[in-house]
Amino acid sequence: MTSRTLGIGFLTPALVAVFIFFFLPVMLTVVFAFTNMSTSTGITDGDYRIIGDRLRNLSDAGVSQASIDKLEAAGYQITEAGLAALAEQFGEDTADELRDDFLGQSYAKRRDLERVLRSLDDPIRKTRDRKAAADLFAVSIINTRFDTEEEFRAALTSTGIDAGDHDALTRFAYTGWGWTRDNFRLLLELPSTLRYAANTAFYVLCTLSFNILFGLFLAISTFYLPAKLANTFRAIWFLPRILPPVLYVLMWNWFTWDTGFISTVTGWFGVPQQNWMMQTTTRAWTVIILINGFVGASLGMILFSSAIKAIPTSMLYASEVDGANRWQQVRYIILPQLRWPILFMTAYQTLSLLTSFEYILLATDGGPGRATEVWALAAYHTALNNYGGNLQYGLGAAYALVLVVIGIAASALYLRLFNFRELLIKPRIEQ
Amino acid sequence: MELRLEKFTKRFGEVTVIEDMDLTVESGEMMALLGPSGCGKSTTLFAICGIHKMSGGSLHFGDRNVTTMPAQQRSVGVVFQNYALYPHMTVEQNIGFPLKVQRVSKSEIREEVARLSDLVQIGNLLDRRPAQLSGGQQQRVALARAMIRKPDVLLLDEPLANLDAKLRLEMRSEIRRIQRETGITAILVTHDQVEAMSMCDRIALMKEGQIMQLAAPEEMYANPSSQFVAGFLGNPPISFLDAVAGERLDLGTGQSLARPFGLEATGDVVIGIRPEFFGPQHGTGLEGEVIFVEPQGREELIDVRLEGGGEIRSVLPAGEPVKPGERINWGVATDRILAFAKDGTRL
Ligand SMILES: Nc1ncnc2c1ncn2[C@@H]1O[C@H](COP(=O)(O)OP(=O)(O)OP(=O)(O)O)[C@@H](O)[C@H]1O
Ligand SMILES: [Mg+2]
Repeated sequence: MTSRTLGIGFLTPALVAVFIFFFLPVMLTVVFAFTNMSTSTGITDGDYRIIGDRLRNLSDAGVSQASIDKLEAAGYQITEAGLAALAEQFGEDTADELRDDFLGQSYAKRRDLERVLRSLDDPIRKTRDRKAAADLFAVSIINTRFDTEEEFRAALTSTGIDAGDHDALTRFAYTGWGWTRDNFRLLLELPSTLRYAANTAFYVLCTLSFNILFGLFLAISTFYLPAKLANTFRAIWFLPRILPPVLYVLMWNWFTWDTGFISTVTGWFGVPQQNWMMQTTTRAWTVIILINGFVGASLGMILFSSAIKAIPTSMLYASEVDGANRWQQVRYIILPQLRWPILFMTAYQTLSLLTSFEYILLATDGGPGRATEVWALAAYHTALNNYGGNLQYGLGAAYALVLVVIGIAASALYLRLFNFRELLIKPRIEQ
Repeated sequence: MELRLEKFTKRFGEVTVIEDMDLTVESGEMMALLGPSGCGKSTTLFAICGIHKMSGGSLHFGDRNVTTMPAQQRSVGVVFQNYALYPHMTVEQNIGFPLKVQRVSKSEIREEVARLSDLVQIGNLLDRRPAQLSGGQQQRVALARAMIRKPDVLLLDEPLANLDAKLRLEMRSEIRRIQRETGITAILVTHDQVEAMSMCDRIALMKEGQIMQLAAPEEMYANPSSQFVAGFLGNPPISFLDAVAGERLDLGTGQSLARPFGLEATGDVVIGIRPEFFGPQHGTGLEGEVIFVEPQGREELIDVRLEGGGEIRSVLPAGEPVKPGERINWGVATDRILAFAKDGTRL
């Protein structure tokens, strides 16, 4: 076996993983984004049916008024099926008489059929009953289910509807999903889109700043602590990251609930009990940024800490004998050498924050109102979990696709940035 | 400025590395701290510049007691073994850094940097970064940075250890020149005796946290206070032989040497003979067989196994027709024989 095939062999699991866990989901997202799939369309093929309640939407779909009228008043015909129903409700005799004299007869208007029903030897006397009886003979395709397009079109023809309206009606009647670019038009039109985008930008910016700054603060302050204390401290700050998100957020909930920790403590000072997470938008944002921030900062802390440790001690000693105080040491020696870890953290966290919503979902679920609904959460809500019950897979996928595009673009940019710099600059710290 | 270390003690936890060390460096003097690895040279240096706290004793710069003063306020310049240049700063910024943290004005910093870079002759490299410099150039930058504050004391921790042989030679005289020109009080930490002897006014020879002898290089070489000092100093090293002092110095192998003038001891002693004091130019006296000849260009190193036991080394100018296996009878410069008691003290 050549080394090349061996190499490919070793790569295969990685390639398979990339395909299954990255390429496939992305492709599916792309596919879904161009459909109108939702709970009502299902994700398999649908059938053809004009639902009576939606008749008034027909003119919006481009169907002529004449055809609509015709659909509504398709006429009446005495058929065996109708007679059977009549026999059940109004007696065999009436049905038999009608069969003998009028089987196969058609009437354009219900009034005509009602007149016939009144003129029978054994007439239906009450007007209301006559109307009901006449309806049994209505020849309409409304509310009738057709399995295939051919059947539906045939029915349209037999109802005598103008052939020009057939296409529009077929489209209108189709209950399955179809291809469409409407999702993206909708994204551009909906005012909530802008709202979600702004929320996301705010969320990413604030959390990122908190992550980096607090991570730096932790790394630098623990660097100056005695080793044992520093390690304990770091371990404590690392807890949020190793805690399962559900548990971690649950603790925050407990912390901020109306009867939670903050409420109880502030209660001692006469502050009325309240929900410290959801009462106001500001609070919701604060809590969300803190929840995400602590998790992110702990990662930054570890990364920055090890980067600081990689700085040769003699360099720090040198700065001390050169007369630099602690602050100057941090400012002029440590921070400049953390430039790459900081840049890396920024790049990495931007990407993961853009797409992460689990902590927000668990904490505020986008509330109060839609105040903390970020883009990724909106995608989730639209596609997978929505109060209305109609899950719009297609629209949700369109939301997600926007994130995928931004993510790939940003990754490409970061990759170039990093590689580029690496080529230009030789390793700078030498022992 | 005079530097005075009194009863200096340094402990790392339970381990006492240095105990009750006294050391005075005269103003304008260059002092070498010489000793084998692990003897506490760097520890002493770090205590003097304030990076390590002293566990006991006191330190004075002139009449200023700086024992508890933090490094930042001590006014010492340090050149570290690996130079410890700041990789993200240019040469100019590196040299100017000690002034920058003192908030000296930009123009003044530029002036001072120019002065120092002239002194160490790197005026053309100011825009480079440390990674773009050779070892010798980095060394000069480190030196300039250490000196820009006009410190009371200049400390050099093995400054030449990372340089190749030729550069080491060059920087040796360069550092000495700069120290002389500025008249700064300096301490050079090294484990290389040639460095210590060629660069410094005096040498403090250390062993296990103690100063064994403090003297000028020639004095220390000619007149070592102990067997350790005699053995440490000198390259090629001195040869030691066991002897019994009586009428003569009886080597106990059937051979003997004349007693050096002024030696009063009798009984068991150890005698030390430097290689240049054993050879045909000193007549005859010791018989033996040449077992090894190591040419060193200008001279040759010759190991001799003495008749009846014992080995002794000689150094002769290159070109002497001496071959391994040859039997010789060479003399010793009797008055240069160093005698030590069995415990290593000088007799
Ligand atoms: N931080 C420390 N903790 C414990 N022991 C230490 C520490 N620093 C140095 N020592 C010990 O102190 C002794 C002296 O160390 P020092 O670094 O001063 O040696 P040195 O003379 O500079 O040796 P070298 O020539 O190898 O640099 C050594 O035995 C070393 O193990
Ligand atoms: Mg050392």
